[in-house]
This record gives sequence, structure tokens and C-alpha cells, in this order.
Amino acid sequence: MRGFLKVALLSSVFAVSSYAAEAETLKLGVLATLSGAGTAWGIAMQGAAELAAEDVNSKGGLEVGGKKYQVEVIAYDDHYKAADALTAFNRLVFDDGVKYVVGPLGSAPALALLPVSTENKVITMTMAFTPKALSAEYKYSLRPVIPSDVFSDPQIKWVVQKLGAKRVGGLFPNDESGQQVGAANEAAYQAVGAKFVAKEFFERERVDFVPLLTRVLAQNIDAFELDGNSPQTAGLLVKQLRELGFKGPIIRTGGDATADLLKIAGKEATENVYVHQPINSELASIQEYTKRFETKYKVPLNAFSPFFYANVQMLFAGMQKAGTVTDVDKVREAVLGLKDFDTVLGKVNWIGQAQWKSNQQLDAPFYVALLKGGEAHVVAKCTPAVCE
Amino acid sequence: MDYSILLAQAALNGLVIGAMYMLMAVGFTLVFGIMRVVNFAHGEFYMLGAFTAFFTYVYWEMPFVVCLVIAAVTVGILGMLIERTLIQPFRSDEMSGMIATLAISVIIQNGAVLLWGPSPRAMPDIVTGTLAIGPFSFPWSRLVVIVAAALIFVAFWLFMQRTRLGRAMRAVAQDTETALLQGIRVNYIYPLAFGLSVALAALAGALMGPVFSVSPFVGLTPMLKAFVVVILGGLGSVPGAVVGGLLLGMIESFTATIFGSLVSDVLQLLLVILILLVRPAGLLGQREA
Repeated sequence: MRGFLKVALLSSVFAVSSYAAEAETLKLGVLATLSGAGTAWGIAMQGAAELAAEDVNSKGGLEVGGKKYQVEVIAYDDHYKAADALTAFNRLVFDDGVKYVVGPLGSAPALALLPVSTENKVITMTMAFTPKALSAEYKYSLRPVIPSDVFSDPQIKWVVQKLGAKRVGGLFPNDESGQQVGAANEAAYQAVGAKFVAKEFFERERVDFVPLLTRVLAQNIDAFELDGNSPQTAGLLVKQLRELGFKGPIIRTGGDATADLLKIAGKEATENVYVHQPINSELASIQEYTKRFETKYKVPLNAFSPFFYANVQMLFAGMQKAGTVTDVDKVREAVLGLKDFDTVLGKVNWIGQAQWKSNQQLDAPFYVALLKGGEAHVVAKCTPAVCE
Repeated sequence: MDYSILLAQAALNGLVIGAMYMLMAVGFTLVFGIMRVVNFAHGEFYMLGAFTAFFTYVYWEMPFVVCLVIAAVTVGILGMLIERTLIQPFRSDEMSGMIATLAISVIIQNGAVLLWGPSPRAMPDIVTGTLAIGPFSFPWSRLVVIVAAALIFVAFWLFMQRTRLGRAMRAVAQDTETALLQGIRVNYIYPLAFGLSVALAALAGALMGPVFSVSPFVGLTPMLKAFVVVILGGLGSVPGAVVGGLLLGMIESFTATIFGSLVSDVLQLLLVILILLVRPAGLLGQREA
């Protein structure tokens, strides 16, 4: 028996070492914020890359053109700074020889390294919301997350039509970002037949909004828009609006703030509040991914993570379709050629021709949810064209 | 919305904000009147009061009145210790004393960030629902602040007028040397006055915690407003702080409701400049000899 075990052990060691000699390595870079503010997003991106790599490595590697590749994830911290992002990106490309990168995260880092990634033919998967992150010129820049300029119009249209709101009001921070969001909201609401009748600006440190909300409510609004405000401010606005007796619908078009809305304003005040949801947490695939992510990283899932996971899966599928991991142009073409690709988010495609003259924006469904009893319930599924 | 409802809401909100400014400014002006120290850390004691109320109310689930007492006592004792150890050594040098309070402010605020993190924490309302009178509807959570602030001020006023300690504090504020000659132990009065002052700030913070939220940075705005109030009412004058606090609250609320936030901020600062030009000692302040 002992002799049999020895033989089995030796043969398995031999098998593993001979396999290791045959297997090649595919390096996947991660360039994201892994310390300080923005870490939650960074971990979401790193986790997506590592989980996707784990998927293929656990099956013996990614089979491309008759060869098996073990995926190695190399992650660097960009500290959410353009200069640090560029340094880390150069290291990934020139020292580590990486051709595929999950990242960059912010708009400033993205704009800083786009010329380098384009010149050196490196496919990046960015979270940057700036419209300049995608263009026909920067052909290797892909964006898996849905930015606000894509989701706000269909969402606002649906909300206005469903609620029949004709007069909308909102408060925005008195800085460049707040002014831009305010103007964009006004245009978006007017485009669908509603009028933004009360638009007020305030200094960011303000916590007492009652005088301003009283002023807004004096305009007899049907609905209130929370876009442009931090999650905490949005929570205070909901609380104080309800204290003033406003019972109408409140709409959160911008980024995910549901947890803070509920925490600050409470269950009762958040009834009749409509929020943007990047993912449908009621989907079995999302629930499974969430469980897997949270078990491994011990932090709550950031809703952006499944988008990057889906993008990396598409990258691997593109490599298999192209039959190469080294010819980036062929891989890019194959990835962007994927249609109705099944992912954790549901079926996804690539869009952007009309807006950026190139299909480099992932087209995944997003959702409108209604807060009820302290929970978000999906009430509409959206595409960049329409919410239903 | 009816015009009368608009004005009623503005008046109520002015009273709430004014009550908070009043409590802040009374403590602020008390310390200046007695010790000749401008306490730049006053807003941080407001923040500590808010956090004490948050933890005792949310985690330990104590009755809110007990939370207020705990906030006032713990922050008051902390204030006395700080006065004794960090401010007293600079008593003969007002400028150094002020810089010391500035340093204390930074240390307390950053300490709070390290301990409790920078994110605001929501505190549930002490009372929910609204008081409906005809077409007017006032949230109970805000009405409670007005009543509590009025009661706290009455207690403070009685303490200052009717007790030996209060009279001793007023004597020191009027003339330190004469107070010494009368046998008042000024070295005991100073930390007590400082403790009482910051306890009032802590009470203001604890009262406002459920209305807004609690974070290490919540003391900044009330501190700046306390400055404006004492300029308005007169530095060192307690009645001036009451009048100034309520007046500023009303001005802020009505101007923000009628003209918007940005115009309101401008008008408030213009008012300060005007008061400084026309009546440098403030509405109820006395000119220094």
C-alpha cells in the first residue's frame, strides 16, 4: 500500500511539473485605487480581475490557440492620482509586459495614460465617467460601467412619464460639479416635457436645508431630484423634505446612495423614493457573485465589480475567439465583436458609435428601484434607449 | 405653498437655528467675558457633545434627557481639565491663549476623525411626527430643540443670577482684581467658567445631532456663527448673545427662504461689517474704557 502511495505521489508530482513546463502565463494588470478614498472601487476592480482569473485557473488555465495560459493578476495602486497612475501604468506595460489592464479608475488618471495605452496597444477597462475616456482615436480604451450621461436620460424619461411630474425642483452644491449636474438635469427634464421650476445652490458644508427646501416647495413642485449630492447630503435632503410635509416622489438619478438614504432619513421618509441601481441584486447570478466576492474580500460588494468581471470574461472569450493573446488588435476586434454575451449582469453588447464614433461602451441593463419598507425594489429595467 | 405658510416655516426654522446659535454664543461670550480668551475650540466641544449624545442615545439607548446630562457633564469636565492644563499657563498672554485654543481645536477634530472616522452618522429623531395647526405643520423634532434650548438658557441664567458661584463668575467678569480682593478664588472660577461654557456648546451639539447628523466636522459652522453672533450682540455680553443668536437665526432663515442660500450668506456677512462700522461694541455690548 505504502509503495502504491509513493508511486502515485511521484507520478502526480511529475504530472504537475510537466504541466507547469507546458503552461504559459497571461498577465492581467489592475490599475486602481487600493488605498485612501476610492478604495472600495479599487477593491471592486481588483476582485473582479482575481475572481475571473480564478475561474480559468481552476480549470487548468485559459485555452487559447491550443495552449493553456495561467492568468496572473498584477495590481498596482494609483492613489487616485494621475501622476501615480501613469507611473504604475508604465511599470505594468514596460517592466511587467502587461497588454491587458483592468483600470484606470478616475477620469484624471484615465486622461493621463490614454496616449500611452494607445501608442503601446494596451487594452484598458476603465471606470472613468468622463466622455473623453472613449473615442475612435483611443481605440484600446473600453468602459464596462455605465456613466451618468448614458443612464440619466432614459431614467428621467421613465420617471417623468410614470409619475406624471410636470414641475421638478432640486438643490445642488455650489461648485463646478454641482452647477454642471444642475444644468444637465434641467435640460434632461425639459427634454421630456417636465419643467425644472426650482433650482437652488448651496455651499457643501451646509446641513440645514429647510430654508432652501421651503423656497423650493413654494414653487409647488410635483417631484424632487437628488442628483449631484453626496449620499449623506441626499439623506439629509430626504429627511428634511419629509419634515416639511412633502409627500411627493423623490428621485435619485445619480450614483448609488440607497444605503445612506435609508440610514439618514429612515424607512418611513424614504417611501416613494426612486433610485438608480446599476445592478439588479434580485438576480441569482448577482447574488452568487456577491456571495463569492464578500466571502473572499470581507467587504460589501461595490455594484461596479460585476461590470469589470463581465468585461474580463469577455476579454478571455475574445482571446479564445481570436486564437491569440499576443496580437492585441485581433483580441480587441474579437472582444468588440461579441454580441449578446452572457454575463453575470445578463446579456451584454457594445455601444457608443453615435456618441463616441466607436463601440467601446458596454451596454448592460441598469435599473430604477423604488424604496419600500427600507428595501430597494426594482421597478424598471433600462437600456441607454429606454426604461421599461 | 401659501405665503403665510412660507413665513411661518421660515420663522420656526429661524427659531431652531437661532436657539442653537444662542447656546453656542452664550458659552463663547462667557469665556471671553471672564477669561478674555477667544476659544477657537468651541465648535469642537459642540461636536463632542453631539458624539456623546449619539453614543449614549443610539448604542446605550438611554433616555434623551439623560444623554443631554451626560454630554454636558463629560464635556464640561473635559473642558475644565483642558483649561487647567493647556490654557491656564497662557493666562497672562491672551494671544498665546488663543493660539493654544486653535491647536486644541485641530487636535480634538483630528482625534475625532481617527477615532470615529470622517463619515457623518445619522441619529434618529427624539420625537417624530408634526404639529399641525390649521394649514401650518411643524415637525416636533425641531420644536423640541426650541423648548430645550429655552429651558437650558433659563437654568443657566438662574445659575448665574441666584447662586454664589454664578455671582462669583460675574464678579470676575466685571473686575478680576476686585473679585480677588473680595476673596473670590479666581483660579477655581476660570476652569469652572470654561467647563460651563463648553458644556453649553455640548448641549447645543447634543440637541442638534438628531436634527442634522453627527460627524467630526459638525462644529465648524456653529463656531463661525458664534463669532458672528457675539459681534452682533456684543463680545462678553450674555444678553447680547441671546439677542444676537436669535436675530442671526431669523435673518439667516428669512433671507435664505426669500433670496436663496448664496444671497443669505452675503447678507449675513454684510450685516457683520455694518455692525462693526456703526456699533463696534455690538448691539448690547459695552465700550471698553
